[in-house]
Amino acid sequence: MNDFGLLFNTVFSTGLFNEMLRRATPVAIAAIGGALTQHAGIMNIGMDGMILMGAFFGVLGSSIFGSAWAGLGLAVLVGVLVGLFFGLFVVKFKSDEFIIGTALNTFAVGLTSFLSRSIFGTQGAKGYPSLPNVTIPGFDKVPVLGAILNGHSLFVYLTWLLVLLFYLYIYRTPQGFWLRASGEKPQTLRTAGIAPERMKWTASILCGVLCCIAGAHLSLGYLNGTFAEKMSNSRGYIAFACVIFAASNPAKAYLAALMFGFFDAIGLRLQAYISSDLTSIIPYAITIIMMTYVVVSTRKKREKIHRRADI
Amino acid sequence: MNEKQNGFFANLAEKLNLRYIGSLVLSVLLAFLICAVILAVAGYDPIATYGAMWNGAFDSLRHVGDFLEYAMVLCICGLACVLGARVGIFNVGGEGQLLLGAIFACQIGIWLQGTTAWIVIPLAAVGAMVAGGLYAFIPGWLKVKQKVDEVITTIMMNSIAAFLCQYLAKGPWKNANKNMVAATARLNADYWFGNLIPRSNLTTAIIAAAIIAFAVWYVMQKTATGYEMRITGSNPRFAFFSGLKTDKIVILGMVVSGMMCGLVGMFRVYGVEHLYRASISNDYYFEGLTVAMIAQYNPVTTIYLSLFFAVLKIGAQGIELIGVPSQIYLIMQTVIIFFMAAEKGISESIQKSLQARRAKQAAIARMKGGVSHE
Amino acid sequence: MGEIAVQFKHISMEFPGVLANDDITLDIRKGEVFALVGENGAGKSTLMNILYGINTPTNGEVFIRGKKVEHFDPGVAISLGVGMVHQHFMLVPSFTVAQNIVLSREPKKMGVFFDNKGAEKETEKLVKTYGLTVEPSAVVQEISVGLQQRVEILKTLYRGADILILDEPTAVLTPQETDELFAVIRKIVREHGMTVIIITHKLYEVMQISDRVGVMRKGKLVGVENTSDMDERKLASLMVGRPVLYENLDKEDDIGDEQIRVDDLVVGDNRGLVAVDGVSLSVRSGEILGIAAVEGNGQSELLEAITGMRKIESGSVTIRGRQINGMDPGAIRGIGLAHIPEDRISTGVCADASVSDNLLMGKERNPEFNTLGIAQNNAAIRKYASEIYEKFDIRGAGIDVNVGSMSGGNMQKVVVAREFSFDAPVLIISQPTRGVDVGAIEFIHEQIIQQRNEGAAILLSSADLDEVFRLSDRIITLYEGKVTGEFKASEITKEEIGYFMTGKRETEAAHE
Repeated sequence: MNDFGLLFNTVFSTGLFNEMLRRATPVAIAAIGGALTQHAGIMNIGMDGMILMGAFFGVLGSSIFGSAWAGLGLAVLVGVLVGLFFGLFVVKFKSDEFIIGTALNTFAVGLTSFLSRSIFGTQGAKGYPSLPNVTIPGFDKVPVLGAILNGHSLFVYLTWLLVLLFYLYIYRTPQGFWLRASGEKPQTLRTAGIAPERMKWTASILCGVLCCIAGAHLSLGYLNGTFAEKMSNSRGYIAFACVIFAASNPAKAYLAALMFGFFDAIGLRLQAYISSDLTSIIPYAITIIMMTYVVVSTRKKREKIHRRADI
Repeated sequence: MNEKQNGFFANLAEKLNLRYIGSLVLSVLLAFLICAVILAVAGYDPIATYGAMWNGAFDSLRHVGDFLEYAMVLCICGLACVLGARVGIFNVGGEGQLLLGAIFACQIGIWLQGTTAWIVIPLAAVGAMVAGGLYAFIPGWLKVKQKVDEVITTIMMNSIAAFLCQYLAKGPWKNANKNMVAATARLNADYWFGNLIPRSNLTTAIIAAAIIAFAVWYVMQKTATGYEMRITGSNPRFAFFSGLKTDKIVILGMVVSGMMCGLVGMFRVYGVEHLYRASISNDYYFEGLTVAMIAQYNPVTTIYLSLFFAVLKIGAQGIELIGVPSQIYLIMQTVIIFFMAAEKGISESIQKSLQARRAKQAAIARMKGGVSHE
Repeated sequence: MGEIAVQFKHISMEFPGVLANDDITLDIRKGEVFALVGENGAGKSTLMNILYGINTPTNGEVFIRGKKVEHFDPGVAISLGVGMVHQHFMLVPSFTVAQNIVLSREPKKMGVFFDNKGAEKETEKLVKTYGLTVEPSAVVQEISVGLQQRVEILKTLYRGADILILDEPTAVLTPQETDELFAVIRKIVREHGMTVIIITHKLYEVMQISDRVGVMRKGKLVGVENTSDMDERKLASLMVGRPVLYENLDKEDDIGDEQIRVDDLVVGDNRGLVAVDGVSLSVRSGEILGIAAVEGNGQSELLEAITGMRKIESGSVTIRGRQINGMDPGAIRGIGLAHIPEDRISTGVCADASVSDNLLMGKERNPEFNTLGIAQNNAAIRKYASEIYEKFDIRGAGIDVNVGSMSGGNMQKVVVAREFSFDAPVLIISQPTRGVDVGAIEFIHEQIIQQRNEGAAILLSSADLDEVFRLSDRIITLYEGKVTGEFKASEITKEEIGYFMTGKRETEAAHE
């Protein structure tokens, strides 16, 4: 019992939640982008590649201009281009979005590794100017919350803003209604006089930008100016899982990302007791179980027959 | 005579699907061109690079053996994907099935250490197929019986399998050697597949792979089962309506696909690596899936293209020798996919704009005509 | 009344390989109800899609209230006061009624946000003005089809339409809902001065609702008349291009044992509503039982349940003495049943496969086509497919082309050919000639009668009442999933049947 108490205290420390927040953020930003494309009826498997591009070009910009902000700017610009590229194939040419997404992931691995080796050599890029950490003076004295929330990289906080912003965009603005209509029933939007492609383009570009910001945060914030090959490390797929898990709601997707961050962080802490490889499995398994649950329960509801309700 | 000849050529054209071949060749040429530009911009000599690529694949028998081995991996993975696609299920989970097949096959060899290879190798193959097949059964069953999208579940299951194998290789089944962090014990050399070309990766596994490829092709193209699979994949409602047990066909297609991936894992362990570690597959299934996509899920085309992409990949290792990063290969491969996937869309939008221009010209001509009449 | 609302001038519309509209010139007057009739594929919807800006005509001009339409786009059409209610509703299922109505013209608050309360208020206002009652905050996927149609109409009114196009509006409606719709149309025309164009192929509706009628045939406008100068017979012969005269079919009377028996059957539809509500029937060999019902009254679900395509909730179905509850279509076919499904493209054929593959389906395991069980015998398959192709007079580019590239009529012949080639003692036939040209109709009817004369028990459902009358020995009427009457085909008229199809029961009728 005492052992357990000790274990409990070491594991569930403020550090755990601090780590959870840190690890969740890159996934969460990408997931917001994924929510947008998902609402527009595009299954975006290619987020991993988009993140990788953002990560690389963030560091590249930082190394060229000597400023992390310039790196972020370059990542955003690349995000627009990647979004346009994705939209060109998926929206304009109506290619299979799965093929394009998969190819985009491989393409990003190839391009960033190739350029990284050409520019930075085989060692990869390290120690370039990074995004600042935000420490609110005095806040670190606040018990518990201070230790969890204070001193993170900038985008940990900006993500909250992004979640709010895009939540409002999707559910509270006319454009958000158009976006959802473009995915759910594009023909309806067209007959209302708005081309659904317009919303799909918008979603693609925004998703490209958000994923590249996620990537830039990863290389410039999370890892302080470092690029390593394949550093997105399947975060794009995790973000996609969050989107599915959250039914494309950015707020819920953020919570899902926190869950991934939690299991990620707890795995490290439990290493002495249980392999972190096993705890890493949990979020993926939960996604499959949740998805199955949602699909099965809606079908069960529909299958239970009832008599037509009189009007 | 002439007419007959025309008929013959029309038939031949139809058989070869000239449009497909034309756009494939064009895509490949464009990919080489685009990569040449990228190389030049990055400060490398494109011609020297392509020369080194050719040498990398063909300068020695050893390299030929290596690309044949890799072609085998691509081909079986690609055919596994084709098999799933044929019955209307998209197996994105081959990577996980491959890893599980590899680690179980390896462990069987270690458990049975000392037993004759005549028992160990068949058992390992069965173990790999069972592991891969069962792992594919789960998403297959979920799709057919519960209508859960298989793409997402298989992607998730890839990650799960990777972590699980890593856990096993680091933990319970770990190599006694402390320097090897995440690897199982090494197989007894008695169980290794024999080398066909010395010092290359090419082993007798390729014979087994060739038999599998032939069997898959034969079943899909030549039998009533293949016919039923094709109809099921193309219009499942019609297939069910016509009396086929579509659920069974889809699940079985997925399971066989998983079994093939598991076997590839076993081939990698018993042929090349001789123990399990993560490098057993570096997203090889995804590359095979890519080949299948470019081949538009045609089994024969998949086999040919596997060879082509294997040459590119092994050749790309040769360009490292002159200091060019080999990843240009990935760029080349994906550029080809982008073009092939967009081929229909591109040609349609070109046609559309041509049509619009023609209509505009016609309208202008009409207007002009009208004016001159007045 | 003399004002012109819409003017089509020499409109032609060409799709790859089809001339859907051929030099159409037509004026539609302000404040009238104009009916546009024609068979499937006559070009009615194409013409209306041009007016609504979805299609850009290959040739010709459109004027709306005297203003030439320069740019064909739904947005432009809406701003010119054109509204369209499509056959397949254009509603976002997860949005509320109000959200659907204001889509693309949303009221805002604080300049950027969607004003949900405002939207509901706007909806309320429309509801009051036009008397079309709906609940603004209801979610669209949860309301009935009739209500959804009201939402569609309100949507066009919200957008300020004064020219309203209704594409086959009654296809999915119950008779009461149809009556309500017509009342609404009359009201908006009379009280609000709207112009209504209604596309339909139901002639009695034309007579009931329209002021003028235009008839289209094969892309051409073949006549425009005052409805009061017309009757259904004249309209029908204009539509098909010849007087509708069916030759009598040779029926031999040799009725045998009971082959299909349905007892107190209950089946649900895709939305989880009861579609078939306690139906019992029986069909003997050598007879055709026809089902007469307005679309959406359970006939589709009934046939699907009998053939194993849909789950049976309660009751039982017996085919040739064997209860088939819980069996899959393959097992039921094994008892001796063949099925021509309602929707040939989604169910009846594999569009991406060749004609020969489609004709082979169900026989691929026969020893003659499957050498030693390990190889398909392509020579035998081709020979067989060619024979069937000839026998059923299928006209196309041979047995190797994809079925998806064929015309509707020939595709249907492929279905008929395959299903009849089983020589099954029980045939379930749904919409055998929907969208099929006149020549092929004749041929398919003869084939059906031949199967009957050879002793098949046939259950037939068709939206075409003439077809039901022509082929059936007995007729049952279905209304809201219940059997409302059963008759000998020779002892009842179409008018009387119409009575039962709209909910009157046999017992009630007897009292009157």
